[in-house]
Amino acid sequence: METTNKSILFGLYNDEEIVLQALKEAKGQHLDVYDVVSPFPIHGLDPLLGIEESRLHIAGFCFGLVGTLTAFLGMSWIFTKDWPMIFGGKPYWSVPAFIPITFELTVLFASIGMVITYYAINGMGPGVTNPVLHDRLTDDKFAIAFDAGNASEDEINKFKAFLENTGADEIQMKTI
Amino acid sequence: MKQFEISSKQKSVLFGFMGVGLLCLIITFFIDDAYRPRFWSNFLINSVFFTGISFIALFILCAKFIAYSGWQTVFKRLWEAYTQFLIVGLILMAIIIVGLFGGFHHLYHWNDAASLASDTLLQGKSGFLNAGVYTVLTLGIVGVWYFFARKIRALSISEDGQTTFSRITHQKLKKWSAGFLPIGGFTSAALVWLWIMSVDAHWYSTLYAWYVTASWLVSMLALTVLLLHYFKTLGYFEYVTVDHFHDLGKYIFGFSIFWTYLWFSQFMLIWYGNVGEETIYFKTRQDLYPALFYGILIINFVLPFFILLRNDTKRKTGTMVAASVIVFIGHWLDFFLMIKPGVLHTYHEVAGGGHGHASMNADQSMTAKLISDAGAHGAEHASTFQMGFTIPGFLEFGTFLGFLGLFLYFVFIQLGKANLVPKGDPYLGESMNHHV
Repeated sequence: METTNKSILFGLYNDEEIVLQALKEAKGQHLDVYDVVSPFPIHGLDPLLGIEESRLHIAGFCFGLVGTLTAFLGMSWIFTKDWPMIFGGKPYWSVPAFIPITFELTVLFASIGMVITYYAINGMGPGVTNPVLHDRLTDDKFAIAFDAGNASEDEINKFKAFLENTGADEIQMKTI
Repeated sequence: MKQFEISSKQKSVLFGFMGVGLLCLIITFFIDDAYRPRFWSNFLINSVFFTGISFIALFILCAKFIAYSGWQTVFKRLWEAYTQFLIVGLILMAIIIVGLFGGFHHLYHWNDAASLASDTLLQGKSGFLNAGVYTVLTLGIVGVWYFFARKIRALSISEDGQTTFSRITHQKLKKWSAGFLPIGGFTSAALVWLWIMSVDAHWYSTLYAWYVTASWLVSMLALTVLLLHYFKTLGYFEYVTVDHFHDLGKYIFGFSIFWTYLWFSQFMLIWYGNVGEETIYFKTRQDLYPALFYGILIINFVLPFFILLRNDTKRKTGTMVAASVIVFIGHWLDFFLMIKPGVLHTYHEVAGGGHGHASMNADQSMTAKLISDAGAHGAEHASTFQMGFTIPGFLEFGTFLGFLGLFLYFVFIQLGKANLVPKGDPYLGESMNHHV
């Protein structure tokens, strides 16, 4: 169970374009945005938040490679050393027949490996409750959130002013 | 928004290419023997390759129109220009047809009267594989394609003239596209059987048409990437951004894998089934064309796969240009490998005095004959590498350059006939703001 007890100040917006504009302004004012919550992926959001490109696909490549080698070396060992059998008069080491299974294990290892990596890194999984800022964030609202726990009164006022000026409908504080 | 006009420098370079190609064709014609297998197979390979590129451009354009796809709009005029080459393709294939009736070439085993008389398999297929069907379908189908290509381009250009925003023309464009997709899909298969698969008249494969079409598609995309990069250095296509190249890179990557998937599906079923009539196709290529047979798998699959696997390589000019050049030449070599062995087989059947001709096992003796013949040609060493027959020689590459020059010249002329930026297309805004 995650117990962070962060107090989050967030503003709700109606449109993702407004959010993008607001974020550009936040960058200009050097405000430290904690996170943006959106019901769908917004194009061009990651560079504005300073999020680096995910390295998940590198992990995926490695998992895939493990799958390729497992399948290919595994079958090679089984069909030449462990339990050699003749199928349709073909040689024991019949590479073309191994290709489909090699391909399938590559995909299987890469996909399962990436899902597990993703869950592990994000601390997701069975029994983990995820704090929800606002119910409508999964439907039609967008939020820009600030970390209010470590901020001074001055800064919080600055955040509030920023959210008001950039067109947030509603400003709330929530401890999660 | 600059209007494109072919410059005199481009003209002279492209005419230079065509000159080289013509010279190579002439040299090939005169150094070839009386049956001219090298000359005509080079002609067929390039005609089919470039006609196919213009066909697949039309097909993809139509698929994009009816799929409500918008990102290609900023460079769709390039694809439209490709499609107009179909008229030249029609003329090129008409030359093959003239040769078919005049007996100038022996590309197709089924067109040889003596072989047909003694070959049960060819007789069985003669209802489809004959000069009449070949002519009617080639001229008819490419004609229909060209008709659609003109119609779709005309509608697309007419959008530019609109003063007020209206979707009526675009709806019409969609209807014509929806009409072309099934027509193009089915008819292209028939032409692939006639033009390429029937070169190996005894052999057939049901997914061959897809395999060839995938090859055309990857070549078309590679050429698009190369031309767009070239035009951007000249200041045209200013709205084509790195994001469009990223998507084109994904296409090349994805369809290279698709091509490999089809290649392997065809190979594995035939390998596994182990039926002599079918395996001979791969046996010949493995034994006599080893460099190309294994080489095309490396240059059409392994290289593009590893070059374009990463995200950033699709966004960089160097890697994209390199990958495009590799697969463009790679798929041309693929067509070389599809056509040359069958043409050589026919040549040996027609010119070789018919040993093994009357027997039912004509195909089985083919490999042995070709090997012995390869030895006889290069008397000093019995090599499987015969310039112009088992691997492309300078004349083949020269001819390729010539056809490329012809294709590009035609495309450049067509580009000059319309706005490069389709300003009336309702998807233009979406395409200009495209973000991957």
